[in-house]
Amino acid sequence: MSPWRIVLMKELRETLRDKRTLLVMIVVPVLLYPVILIVSEQLLLFGMRRIEAEAATVGVVGDAPPELEEILAAREGLRVVPTPADPVAALRGDSVGVVAVLGPPSAADGTRSVQVLYDGASDRSGRARRELSAALDDWRDTLLSRRLDARGLPPDFARPVAVSDSSVALPRDVGGYTLGRILPLLLVVITLLGAFYPAIDLAAGEKERGTLETLLTAPVPPRAVVAGKFVTVALIGVVAAGLNLGSMILTFQTGMLQLTQALGLEVSIPLGSVLVIFLTLVPLAVLFGALFLGIAVRSSSFKEAQNALTPVYMVVLIPAMLPVFPGIDFGPLLAVTPVAGVALLFRDLMTGDAQWGLAALVVASTVVYASAALAFAAAAFGNERVLFGGSDDGSETGESWWERFRTGARRGRVPSADAALLFVAGVAVLFFWAGIALQLRLGESGLLAAEWLLLFLPAVAFVVLGRFDVRATLQLRRPPPRALAGALLVAAGAAPVAWGIGWLQTFFLPIPWDVLEGLEDLVTADTPGRLAWLLLLLALTPAICEEVVFRGVLLGGTRRLSPVRFILLNGAVFGAFHLSFETAIRFLPTAWLGIVLTWVVWRTRSLWTGVLMHGVNNGLIVVLASVPALRETFADPEAPPPLWLAPVAAACLFAGIRLVATLPHPLTDPSVPPESEEE
Amino acid sequence: MIRFQGLTKRYGALTAVRDLSLEVRPGEVYALLGPNGAGKTTALRCLATLLAPSAGSVSVGGADAATHPLEVRRRIAFLAASMGLYERLTARELVAYFGRLHGLEGARLEERLDGLVDLFGLADFAHRHCGTLSTGQRQRVSLARALVHDPPALILDEPTLGLDVLSGRTIYDFILRERERGKAVLFSTHQMEEVSLLADRVGVLASGRLVAEGTVAEILERTGAPNLARAFLDLVEGAP
Repeated sequence: MSPWRIVLMKELRETLRDKRTLLVMIVVPVLLYPVILIVSEQLLLFGMRRIEAEAATVGVVGDAPPELEEILAAREGLRVVPTPADPVAALRGDSVGVVAVLGPPSAADGTRSVQVLYDGASDRSGRARRELSAALDDWRDTLLSRRLDARGLPPDFARPVAVSDSSVALPRDVGGYTLGRILPLLLVVITLLGAFYPAIDLAAGEKERGTLETLLTAPVPPRAVVAGKFVTVALIGVVAAGLNLGSMILTFQTGMLQLTQALGLEVSIPLGSVLVIFLTLVPLAVLFGALFLGIAVRSSSFKEAQNALTPVYMVVLIPAMLPVFPGIDFGPLLAVTPVAGVALLFRDLMTGDAQWGLAALVVASTVVYASAALAFAAAAFGNERVLFGGSDDGSETGESWWERFRTGARRGRVPSADAALLFVAGVAVLFFWAGIALQLRLGESGLLAAEWLLLFLPAVAFVVLGRFDVRATLQLRRPPPRALAGALLVAAGAAPVAWGIGWLQTFFLPIPWDVLEGLEDLVTADTPGRLAWLLLLLALTPAICEEVVFRGVLLGGTRRLSPVRFILLNGAVFGAFHLSFETAIRFLPTAWLGIVLTWVVWRTRSLWTGVLMHGVNNGLIVVLASVPALRETFADPEAPPPLWLAPVAAACLFAGIRLVATLPHPLTDPSVPPESEEE
Repeated sequence: MIRFQGLTKRYGALTAVRDLSLEVRPGEVYALLGPNGAGKTTALRCLATLLAPSAGSVSVGGADAATHPLEVRRRIAFLAASMGLYERLTARELVAYFGRLHGLEGARLEERLDGLVDLFGLADFAHRHCGTLSTGQRQRVSLARALVHDPPALILDEPTLGLDVLSGRTIYDFILRERERGKAVLFSTHQMEEVSLLADRVGVLASGRLVAEGTVAEILERTGAPNLARAFLDLVEGAP
């Protein structure tokens, strides 16, 4: 037997003896779901019937004519009760379901106004309102036909257009639609939960129990160990999801649920679709299995792995929830979005609207993500530092995070990556909420205040209170002229690329016209005084405040990672910082600028080059928007940047990079102190 | 059989093992003696191919740990202090698992398992889950597991850590028996009596360096100390 199969067989045997896994994998889908569904359905039906069993109470305020009294008395679902003195209080107190307030007949034609008072937060009152409305319709029709009779007109005289509507959807379409809203989320969650515990147990659990060391001294390559473990986790995810799918479909499809009949739904998903759903679950389970395994093996204990995986679980839930929301059209972009594509494909398969092209895209992209996740997991199993600690963060010495933060600061000169990332996350949240409040209250001055008070000040406080070396952390080194010239060239080349990225995204993302117009108004100056203010507000201030946070603290803390990692990380965090509720359109261009800024600041070892580039980039936008001739060329987001700009940008970028690259390399220059906490 | 040649292992700025050279011959028991943090575990992990040397080399029976890790693993039995077992496998299943990983199958595997059950007296609990075993029973299962492929070299990282006298005795018997069978045994410890009782030769490791090597008598003679504990303290305190 090949080694990976030996590992697989052993892991399966051991996992299947784990009660927790069995519970999530078999008991929950096979028993608990149908039981919960049936019980909750029974409770719902019971409640509905109870409300309908008793007559709704109605109070009438004002002078009710005899024919209305007759109509009300004749309706079985209604019971007239004595008029309450305070109708609103009576409604709120649930002593009456609905109150009709009758106005006096109008002098002209005797038309009467009726106000229906009800409690929108009460099911009983809602039902009473429906009953009363039907009774009032009867009354209106009676009066109308009497009037028409009196004038010798036919009954249809007052109905010049007769509208009737009916849904062409068959009960099974409606059933598929309803199921397609709920089931994808459940399937994704069950697949995820199925892989969750086994991944932790097989990776972090093995480390915690001290068996990993023994296993890795067996004459099998690490990749065979990863493969065996990973196939186990993925298999359990697939089985859990498959059982769940089968159990849910049987529960709905066999007509076990009376609710579906009561609501006029019929649940019948074609067998072919069920098969495709199941086949799509396989790469999804593979993705979760590999991702979880890769994360769990980087944790040293079960508990730590659980803590590390929970946020991943939360993040995965967001795309999985997409089918619940109305109006989301499934297109190529969503198809290649991890998890979202799978969830939306499930929805479309259940409603019978699936397009095979998109389905292929979903499966192919999920396979790609799964392979990347597998490579991530395999890298961990081949990494001795991951497997055998080398944990120099003090977590083994029992120090609190604050003690580690302080001792880390004393030993090293710069914050740790964790501390820097935590700080940036905190500042981003603060800036988002408090910044919005300041801008709403103070307008443009609020923006200025937010940058200095919520970004600059906390960053300086972090470095000073943490007793880090300010110059080393923020890289406050004076740059040589060559560095400044290179930075300027890179900025001049990178800005058009950012515009190009912005333009390209308009093919995929909806253009938020409101936001763009607001931004354009903000950056457009019509007087020299206004131009100076905008340059202070939008160019100089962010150049200093944002650079201190991102290329200062964040880069200072993450410089110990590999350059590719800290550069991409910085770009992603910088892009995410520019996200807003309205649009994601600023993410990619700012992430690109963040990447470029980080590379230049790292290579020149000076924050000032970043400040210069950031200021030039933002200043350029203000100037372009404020000069009418230029605005025509650059302001339309749907138009591509002018073609002549491409070679100019490429030349600037190339020349700038070449110039910066001639500076001494931070990793090899002996004059650069190494980034290590042990110093 | 086991050979370290100028082994150095660094973690970032920290050097855990510095230029370590030593050799363990077949039928010889070699004790690596050192205080906590001296680099014993790191050196043994390099030998077990769990860690890659930063410089120098380690080999077992001529196979280099860096270039032929699988070959080295076939030639060693590695027993770590943690003695972790798979809680939801029975003792026999666990030993069989490692047997299969070492390429044993079918009748050969069963035969070997029966032999190990007899040798280590596992019969009473061979079909119980490891999670339910006592410390002494777990230890015997660990030994059977390590020996399933009957390798020529044994590496034991603080094998008696946390064990009572009786369980420690099992380990001593095991080491002496394997020496009789011609195995090269390398074990780490910080307990003097273990060294005196078992080791043919001893190497004293301090701050990652081998500061002394020889038989117990040679070390006593060189240091002029009345006993091994005193000699050990002198050597460790005198280390840079």
